[in-house]
Amino acid sequence: MTEAVGWYPVAASHDLPVGHIYQTRLFDCPLAIWRASSGEVNIWQDRCPHRGVRFSIGTALGDELRCQYHAWRFASGSGSCTLIPAHRDRPPPRTIRATVYPVVEYGGLVWSSIVDGESHPPIFAHGVVLRAIPVFRPAAAVEGALTSLGLRDVKFFVQPIASDRSVIRGVAIDDASLLEYDALLERLRRELEAS
Amino acid sequence: MDLVLWNDWHVVADANTLDEHRPLRTALLGVPLRIARDKGGSISISKDDGGLVHGEVRHGFVWACLGLPAQPIIDIPELGGEAKCAVSAGAMAVYASAGRVIENFLDLAHLGYVHAGYLGAEPNTMVESYEVTGTKDGVRATRCKTYQPIRRQSKSQDFLGEYVHVEYNYIVERPYIACFEKSFADGHRFMVMYIFAQPVDEEHTVAHTLLILLDEIWDVVQMRAAQQLVFMQDKGILENQFPKRLPIGAGMEMPVRADRTSVAYRRWLADCGVTYGVIRSPMETAA
Amino acid sequence: MLLYDYEAMGECYAVRLLAALLGVQLILKPVDFYPGRAHEAEEFIAINPLGTLPVLDAGEVVLLDWQAALVYLAANSDPTGEWLPTANAVRFAKVHDWLGIARKLGDSAGAVRLHDTIGLDADVESCRAQAHRLLRLLERQLWFVERSGDDWLIPGAHPTIADIAVFVHVILCEEGDVERMDYPAVRRWTDRVRRLPQFLVSSSVFPLPPI
Repeated sequence: MTEAVGWYPVAASHDLPVGHIYQTRLFDCPLAIWRASSGEVNIWQDRCPHRGVRFSIGTALGDELRCQYHAWRFASGSGSCTLIPAHRDRPPPRTIRATVYPVVEYGGLVWSSIVDGESHPPIFAHGVVLRAIPVFRPAAAVEGALTSLGLRDVKFFVQPIASDRSVIRGVAIDDASLLEYDALLERLRRELEAS
Repeated sequence: MDLVLWNDWHVVADANTLDEHRPLRTALLGVPLRIARDKGGSISISKDDGGLVHGEVRHGFVWACLGLPAQPIIDIPELGGEAKCAVSAGAMAVYASAGRVIENFLDLAHLGYVHAGYLGAEPNTMVESYEVTGTKDGVRATRCKTYQPIRRQSKSQDFLGEYVHVEYNYIVERPYIACFEKSFADGHRFMVMYIFAQPVDEEHTVAHTLLILLDEIWDVVQMRAAQQLVFMQDKGILENQFPKRLPIGAGMEMPVRADRTSVAYRRWLADCGVTYGVIRSPMETAA
Repeated sequence: MLLYDYEAMGECYAVRLLAALLGVQLILKPVDFYPGRAHEAEEFIAINPLGTLPVLDAGEVVLLDWQAALVYLAANSDPTGEWLPTANAVRFAKVHDWLGIARKLGDSAGAVRLHDTIGLDADVESCRAQAHRLLRLLERQLWFVERSGDDWLIPGAHPTIADIAVFVHVILCEEGDVERMDYPAVRRWTDRVRRLPQFLVSSSVFPLPPI
């Protein structure tokens, strides 16, 4: 699928309590996203370089992520491997590291960039981040349907999961209509997925 | 299709648990098979197009060969009298390639983590050096040491006992069949286990396992429960490994010293000419 | 208390898990459900004519249904009365609402998982579709629960047996090829369940240390 230049929202800030590993995909690239105890957000390819096990079934331990298979540990920020328990008497080879993607946390959302272009995600007025609604339809179709809604007090961003799947991420000016917007988006999803 | 797989025997069912009222539907190397047992106990294997499939019952399992068998079904010498009991744990399906399943079976470093409390535990998870030989006939890894809670006498229903030093010797002589022998530190061999990884297709496998105890008879239900539990723990890992097909080209994943058996296994698969269910070069990789 | 058990079955795990959380010692009697089909044999039918697992033999009563076993454990062994809150009609009724959802999850996510693992019959596509429908419902519930500062299916400081009954099928669903990626609030809730004191692991459910 063609990947557009720029930044895409891949999570909400509220999706990332410390000690949790969040899982998503962007343009079919699996991502493991976690917040270290320092507050720093990490977006890594969801795959341990050792034997290809998903990081997202692992454990976030403070400032390190531990892989579920052999308990290898990887540092927040650099993604460098910091511990190989089978050989804990020596430091891990420097070449072993997680694949790290760019991350910006802004406006209550977490953004990543597949192809560096713009220096910052789109600027918008901060508000209340709505519940994310995954839809089994391409991003373009979903964007079109959202525009047709003509809502003025919500800004929508659409994350392309894969060519046939996306996630609606809305930011409302306040939380007065949270439930209404939620019901509206669920109905929109039903309509899109039925067509 | 790789002749080394096509012309070999593969386990496709447990002969003793086939239901005469309900034929088993499965597949081997992408070919759907129907395995039935009649009232008299005879077992037949048929393909959808009615074509010929070589079939045999050996060691309590049903074996199939889709091509022309190039060699006999493997021997299991312990079943000739040395075994006190032999239990088939029950076929369990896993959404992973057969190569990934075998490699997991050969792996030492995960025992104290994935199987914590059963096959090992912190802090004894360092992997000491062991010996690996790879020849054209297969791979052997010997004197692989670890520390496990094994009960030497079956006084209770529980398998778990005090932690003792054990040694594994691993043998691989067919692409998707492996076994290990387990011994205590004094060299006394007490257990042999076989895994027969049935390649259903390139990304799906049915794992058939045979546990052989050499010292005493243990309760079959307990043994099955323990082995299925251990397998389900591995299933949770195997189904989260990507790419699904086993990368056997150089430099595609990052092994360390503890992985020498896996490295030898991947190299042997490549030398055998296996292409089914594996990825030979980075160019072939899917996400 | 004796539990006739098959490790890989979600319904059995629910009873083992709640017992562990309550500090109740169960004697486990593994039944060779697969491949031995022991649940269809005379010896087991005499205990449970329905041939289903788990069966909880609590001495004073034998329970043939997993949710009845959860109710009994909570009613019998929880001095706090929080796991099964009978005093408040709304909370008590909501527990049963969610137990119903848990049963539907067992019949969908649980069934396709056993189909995929040990070859039991199931309408695979229909089970997966139903599982996702239920997960979407759970996602909405848990997102709003979190937003109001709560942690469990039924708003309140303490989990209930509803959380346990729903949890087991959710935490095991990926083995039936039902992905959890689209349900981040559900995933966070499963972390919270796994961090409960005296949490019990099961086969592919890995432990989670405290934060």
